[in-house]
Amino acid sequence: MLEAFLSGLWQVLAWPAFGYLLLGIAIGFWVGLLPGIGGLATLALLLPFSYNIKSPVAAFCFLLGMLAVTGTTGDLTSILFGIPGEGSSAALILDGYPMSKKGEAGRALGAAIMSSAIGAVIGALSLALSIPIMRPLVLLFGSPELFIITIMGITFIGTLAGSSLIKGLLAGGIGLMLAAIGVDPQTGALRYTLGALYLWDGLDITPVAVGLFAIPEIVDLAVRGTSISNVPRGKLSGVMEGVKDTFRHFWLVMRCSLIGVYFGVLPVLGANVAQWISYAHAVNGLKDRSRAGKGAVEGVLGPGAANNSTRGGDLIPTLAFGIPGSGSMALLIGALLIVGLQPGPEMLKTRLDVTFAMVWILIIANLIVAALCFLVLNQLAALTFIRGSLLIPFLLFLVFIGSFTANNNLYDLLVTLIFGFLGYFMVLYGWPRPPLILGLILGKMGENYLWISTQAYGAKWLLFPSVIILILITIAVIAYPTIKEKRGKARYERPEDAI
Amino acid sequence: MAQRLRGLRIGWLLFLSLYLFIPVQSVFAQAPFYQGKTITIVVATKAGDLYDLYPRLLAEYLPKYIPGSPNIIIQNMPGAGSLIAANYVYNVSKPDGLTLGAIYPTLYFEQLAKKDEAKFDWTKFNWIGSTIRSNNLLYMRSDTPFKTMDDVRKAATPPKCGGTGVSSTGYYMPKLFEETLGTKFDIVSGYQAGADVDLAVERGEVQCRAFTITSYFAREPFISWRKRDFVRVLIQTGAKRDERLKDAPTIYELMNRYKTSESGRRLATVVLSGGDFGRPIVMPPGVPADRVKILRDAFTKSIQDKDLLKEAQKRNLEIDPGSGDELQSLAKEVVAQPPDIVQRMQKLLGQ
Repeated sequence: MLEAFLSGLWQVLAWPAFGYLLLGIAIGFWVGLLPGIGGLATLALLLPFSYNIKSPVAAFCFLLGMLAVTGTTGDLTSILFGIPGEGSSAALILDGYPMSKKGEAGRALGAAIMSSAIGAVIGALSLALSIPIMRPLVLLFGSPELFIITIMGITFIGTLAGSSLIKGLLAGGIGLMLAAIGVDPQTGALRYTLGALYLWDGLDITPVAVGLFAIPEIVDLAVRGTSISNVPRGKLSGVMEGVKDTFRHFWLVMRCSLIGVYFGVLPVLGANVAQWISYAHAVNGLKDRSRAGKGAVEGVLGPGAANNSTRGGDLIPTLAFGIPGSGSMALLIGALLIVGLQPGPEMLKTRLDVTFAMVWILIIANLIVAALCFLVLNQLAALTFIRGSLLIPFLLFLVFIGSFTANNNLYDLLVTLIFGFLGYFMVLYGWPRPPLILGLILGKMGENYLWISTQAYGAKWLLFPSVIILILITIAVIAYPTIKEKRGKARYERPEDAI
Repeated sequence: MAQRLRGLRIGWLLFLSLYLFIPVQSVFAQAPFYQGKTITIVVATKAGDLYDLYPRLLAEYLPKYIPGSPNIIIQNMPGAGSLIAANYVYNVSKPDGLTLGAIYPTLYFEQLAKKDEAKFDWTKFNWIGSTIRSNNLLYMRSDTPFKTMDDVRKAATPPKCGGTGVSSTGYYMPKLFEETLGTKFDIVSGYQAGADVDLAVERGEVQCRAFTITSYFAREPFISWRKRDFVRVLIQTGAKRDERLKDAPTIYELMNRYKTSESGRRLATVVLSGGDFGRPIVMPPGVPADRVKILRDAFTKSIQDKDLLKEAQKRNLEIDPGSGDELQSLAKEVVAQPPDIVQRMQKLLGQ
């Protein structure tokens, strides 16, 4: 085992594998930074180039190296401009962009990069540690359990609601309703498609998220007529401050990394969901809840760690069964086949070193990109001090390119505009936007898993021990903040009583 | 003398004009239509999907066999189960021979079911060819009591088969077996992707799945599954038994055994023709016949190109081509169906 572990490392560091890794990182850096151009699509485009790389580890250095860093640099765009750089970076906008507005872009970036690096390492280590228990781990979660987990996710809507719970719940409900759009997979019925083929597959998350979050911010920037940052550069704006924040809230970062791993293991859910859950978790732990959404660094650290650690979790079902855990993993399997490797239980027996090489790629790629980012962060943060009128055309360009690449369809732009409009008024009248997105993401999954569970087990699944345990956990998650609040008050009151 | 001189002069003139004439002729001779042009292949899936890999492979080799060697680019137009791409190619793209479509093979189901959203006539597409014919199989977990389709017929509680949606083979293949062989399956659909169904089978949530023979032999988890006898194949849908699946009966053998009615057989032919369309490449109606011919020839030649075959093997893409002519006549056959077949089709697709 140890031998394979070290052999994996040497293979990654050997030439030309390391060169391919650097190349992959260089590509991934830009792919992550630019909104819309996602890791998955880039992977598809790079795949043919990997056909000519003979060694499997070198091919993987190129592809996985690219994929591993997109999550990290995607966070930067979200923080700097309020535009999600990757679909899985949208949650960083909530507190990251307000930090930029407060002139703390450097701090937010430092926090995001450092937490991303830690998340990636935790994800990779979880992958390495779980190799012996991979199979039972993945088989633990069937459709009934996944259904309860989506319900658990939906309960976080309350947490994301911010100051007004009713508005939050209503926004979440609207998200759930929007999730119903499209062809129903069970009967083939068309729901709310308004005669447009575009709506058959339901609303794509990317144009909705870009419209909802980015457009109102751009309008706001235009109206304010200043730079993104409202205040001149201050002392607390430094990158190092963000790095220190990461270690100040070290256990939060660890917990959110594990949330990411967990959602990576679960089929279908992945980074898109993990970021919101860990954001909710991070915000839940704030002593002063009113700081949420106004530039709390915890809201950057949580999703920053989680959307990177999912990559490690993602690889677990792929390696345990040869069944891809996500779209990008399906492509990676294709790349392995070309070099003559069949990812799956057989490969774990015969080529354990390749598996460990993947662990090392995740770690090394993220450490390199973190170092690289620190070199340019202060310059990047300076962008938030540029006059808004110079930035806006560039930002609008990014927004529309970003949403158009989702399906290469002009309707993507229309959806972006509609949700931009909606988002603007939601901000204006104090309606929280995250519940809407979370409802949209989880609605469809929840419906499918409920249907599958009922078709496969009737009503019996409600009595599965695993389901009951998850329901109890869900209740605990809902009750926890209230309990904590009461306890906190009790402790606070006691000394007063004593006096 | 003067006469002779004039004759000579005329001779020279003729001679010279001959020279002049030759280059003039070659200037006006038609350059190949495709020279300097760009052909777009509209692919009905996102980039990187298995459906997308075939056209991308073709795009590398087709230009070699088209006079004028044009550029070929891929445009991904995913959505609505390939209807967006098919409607676009049929109605919007210009019939100038510069747009090709790589669309799903079973879109004629939508036409037969008279769906308004299918804005094309399957027979009027110009069929260029198909890279692979794909027959299907149904696998069943070995630890279930279902060893043959006969067991499934007699079962008190039917086995559960997983699928993604009503237009997936995982859904309509078991339905077809029900209609033609009298078996009963409970179909659990709504999984995100085929891989999620396989995982559900591994977990025991469902026991069976119908999909293509090609994938069954190309990928994990099936390689491990076959090694540890985790599943067995109960039926296959080709006309003959596949070389690698000697023990599994074909649907035609079973239809003979169970004396399936004529209308049932017809239904089976219509549904299974999707496999013969394979992964088709089409052009819109109205493309000049000579350009259709150029592309059909180029397709036939490039699909036999040694380098292409080598590359396909490397990329794990099986090749079993169908010609444009074959597909053209097949398209006419499948769409001409009596009302009772159309009705059974609609029932099969859950409408």
